[in-house]
Amino acid sequence: MNTSDLSSNRHPLQPSHDRKKLSVKTALLDIWQVFSAEVRRIFSDPMVMLVFFIATLLYPLIFCSVYYKETVINLPVAVVDDSDCEASHRFIHKLESTPEIEVAYHCCNLAEARHLMNNHSIHAIFYFPHDYGTRLASLRTARVAVMCDMSSFLYYKNALLGGNNVLIDEMHTIELQRYALTGITGQQASDLVQPVAYDDVKLYNPAGGFSSFFLPALLMLIVHQTLFIGILILCGDANENHRALRLIPPRLRNHSIHRVTIGRTLCFVLLYIPITLIDLWLIPHWFNMPQLGSLRHILVFLLPFILSVTLFGMSFGNLFVRQKMSGVLCCVFFSVILFFLSGMVWPQSNMPRFWYLFSHIFPSTPGIQGFVRISTMGATLAEVRHEYMTLWVQVLVYFCTACASLRFIKKYRKS
Amino acid sequence: MQNKANNPTLRVMLRELRRIQFNPRYLVILTLGIVFSFIFFATMMQEGLPQRMPIGVVDMDHSYLSRRLCHELNATQGVHVEAVYDNHAEARKAMQRGEIFAFFEIPPDTYNELLQFHAPHFGLYSNNAYLLAGTLSYKQLATMGMLASGAVQREILRKKGYDEEQIMGLIMPVELDTHPIGNPWTNYRIYLMSTLIPAIIAFISQLHTVYLIGRERQERTLRNWMRKSGNNTVKALLGKLFPYTVHYSFLVLLANLVMFGFIHFPMNGNWLLMVLVSLLLIPAAQCAGVLISGCIPDPPLAMGICAVYAALSFSLSGFSFPVEAMPHFFDSLSWLYPIRHYYLAYRDIAIFGNGLDQCWSSIVSLLLFGLVFLIGAKMMDLNLNKKQLS
Repeated sequence: MNTSDLSSNRHPLQPSHDRKKLSVKTALLDIWQVFSAEVRRIFSDPMVMLVFFIATLLYPLIFCSVYYKETVINLPVAVVDDSDCEASHRFIHKLESTPEIEVAYHCCNLAEARHLMNNHSIHAIFYFPHDYGTRLASLRTARVAVMCDMSSFLYYKNALLGGNNVLIDEMHTIELQRYALTGITGQQASDLVQPVAYDDVKLYNPAGGFSSFFLPALLMLIVHQTLFIGILILCGDANENHRALRLIPPRLRNHSIHRVTIGRTLCFVLLYIPITLIDLWLIPHWFNMPQLGSLRHILVFLLPFILSVTLFGMSFGNLFVRQKMSGVLCCVFFSVILFFLSGMVWPQSNMPRFWYLFSHIFPSTPGIQGFVRISTMGATLAEVRHEYMTLWVQVLVYFCTACASLRFIKKYRKS
Repeated sequence: MQNKANNPTLRVMLRELRRIQFNPRYLVILTLGIVFSFIFFATMMQEGLPQRMPIGVVDMDHSYLSRRLCHELNATQGVHVEAVYDNHAEARKAMQRGEIFAFFEIPPDTYNELLQFHAPHFGLYSNNAYLLAGTLSYKQLATMGMLASGAVQREILRKKGYDEEQIMGLIMPVELDTHPIGNPWTNYRIYLMSTLIPAIIAFISQLHTVYLIGRERQERTLRNWMRKSGNNTVKALLGKLFPYTVHYSFLVLLANLVMFGFIHFPMNGNWLLMVLVSLLLIPAAQCAGVLISGCIPDPPLAMGICAVYAALSFSLSGFSFPVEAMPHFFDSLSWLYPIRHYYLAYRDIAIFGNGLDQCWSSIVSLLLFGLVFLIGAKMMDLNLNKKQLS
């Protein structure tokens, strides 16, 4: 076991027994040795190369093209008009002209429409009951029933959004007519119809698109998961072939074990800076995602993120990953959970306390939150202070655990 | 016992059971992972839809009216007023800090303008970078705005001497009556879990298949495995994977039993059909795994490729973003994913209550993965023979 990868080239400046006088220069040389060994390991392993260089480029491109169309437009719906009056015709006509909805079928009765819905030819039904016209004529409130397909929330959202927009417009038209009947017309009537005006502004994602919301978080998750799993593969490979100890130069095995951690971390950080620039800056730019943040802020924020993921991965990998393939086997499915833990879908304010605290174990949570706020929402570091500090705390904690895990390997796996 | 062991498939199965007994680590870890995922999603979204989401109010009016509006907003179920800000910039910073998901802006002199019948302009800002939270809080604010507008109209009409019934007809001439089919509470947990949990189990079983076959290669036990099966790849694979098929199918059934039985997710159709579809999902996922490891002999590479393939399954199942809204290429690609067919069948059975006449195509598609299995076994055979020749 003593004939190792690293110990073969003895330290040029310092004999191994005299540790007390290690100078800055020797420390740097140690780090350099570990660093270059790690680089060699990465570039000689096809599986790691696949994760670090292919997956990081392929995934963003695939996902960006999957969600390229942003939203559902022209959702096919059916209308059932039992009242067959002027008002219902006007309503249907307005429905036809909304971008969200396309009236694909005019059905004679509800059963026919339900049949179409069960066939998935349409995703919503607008039903005008037979008294729609008479209720309007007698100045009472008329009802339109909407049946929505709930197999995807986007169907529901579209049907409701289109329906609501038409409803508001139609209400104004009918109100104006009714006021005219009571003798109120002109400016007075329109003031009455809309006594309060609204400007609704949908910030940071004006179209309410799925990709503008989903992809920035996903890109960050891809960076997190590829780096994490790549490190697990490297650790698993070392543990599987009982080479974990050989990665620690013998003279560093007692006191300066942190240099191993520093050297390896440096390697991953340098490797991931260009990758993150492509994934988190160029790809959002190419695919026209909302990008308000400045590159400087993003880079400053990403530094502790990459550090934290690397150190977290090394701590976890050193301790738990015994085989090269087990990292992929056991941790890829966790991406889904990490995404939901990040609070992008289910807001952090509504998470049970336990899951909120649990989510802070992983660098992905502050990473995704911070990145989305900087990149999509144009926040500066001051606004993401909580996330930024969390990441630095994680860096500190995981640095200690990474060093401790190396000590653990040294102590218990000497064989 | 002796009699049973004469059957090559059974022989391999017994060998596999012994291997599991000898090293149950990964089966246990993955099962725990599945149980963890289930508990995670079930407890995290207990509310169904996020309630009382934090929003802000920018009050530049400081009047009786603006304070009353704050109280009214706080009294609605969907949102609660996290803070009242003095100006727009402050509220926007709070939004960037993630403290609020939307804010309501009341401009100066609103009350005076209202009294003078000048329509004041309210601002309604929502954060769509968080799509669910932003949309829901926007919806609440918009409803509140409608109500406020109605309240003002009512006051004016009362002063003009109209009676209540006339006023209601004037303010609210048309109503939209929504009936969400298959999920009447618009519950996010039902929508998400019913597809996501089977998807996670299928994902894991697929990767596990590739791992198991790869492990035989790495441990150099391939020859032993093949010998036990009488050098028949199909029997070898069937015997090896069947214990896992049973295990993961049991987990899918258990998850569905808990979801549709104990947590009362809506089930409009025949539950026997749902059981059938659940039983077909795992074998189909494993078949896809067999194809990958049959085509790619290098175990770690096969594992990587399988992960790349399977990671797309969550998107291409089409339950979050509809497949028909994706570019056409992905529409065809989604056929290669068992979970896509499972989702289509689930939609037919549980949401629309359709029978076999509608969901047969999904069931047949899942069964067709048997062909994929045969191709995978053949490829593996070819690879093995090549190795022996060389």
